[in-house]
Amino acid sequence: MMIDVQILDGPLDPRTLERVGIDAGAVGARVMFEGIVREVEDGRPLVALDYSAYEPMAHNQLKDLAAEIGHAHGLGGVTVRHSRGRVRVGEVSFLLVALAPHRKEALRAMDEFIDRMKRDVPIWKTAVFADGGNA
Amino acid sequence: MTVRVLLFGPEASKAGRDHVIVQLVADRTCGAVKAAVTRSCEPIAESVGAARIALNGKFADDEQIVSDGDEVAVIGMVSGG
Repeated sequence: MMIDVQILDGPLDPRTLERVGIDAGAVGARVMFEGIVREVEDGRPLVALDYSAYEPMAHNQLKDLAAEIGHAHGLGGVTVRHSRGRVRVGEVSFLLVALAPHRKEALRAMDEFIDRMKRDVPIWKTAVFADGGNA
Repeated sequence: MTVRVLLFGPEASKAGRDHVIVQLVADRTCGAVKAAVTRSCEPIAESVGAARIALNGKFADDEQIVSDGDEVAVIGMVSGG
């Protein structure tokens, strides 16, 4: 199984992953998730999110999680990109691509990966609000 | 033993710094680290109770022993994605 994890500065470009898995013969399903910064957080207008990570633990946790969930669901590959630093409203801060023989495994794996990431991967975001505050 | 404990995210913001220095005497477990951080850094006393400790980049149980040179970090509630 192919695993590719990177934590990158600033917003992510989904086009960089648009060919991932396209030429893999055993792949019948390619599912891509894009996490986008919303314009409102807790009812307050937002400008951006500032991401910080404890590295290399965050990278290793993402890699271990990809391997565990990939094997559990019989995936052919998992590609993960997460931002560090500032990502403005409307920009992408997280990308996940799952390759599987069939769609159900890929969709289940995506959901599980994101749930686990939000619990176990040491990455934090700070909201930068339009009114000048942050939280 | 003197231990430098790394802080991140909300804990670092509340504490106003990226680490705290604590002393472990008889009890050198991760649980003792949490108790020492709670005592020595009041702004994060509450949240550290629910946080996890990472030893050398891996989550550790409260019973795990901290050795000289280990990298120790408080991992509070994460919020990636």
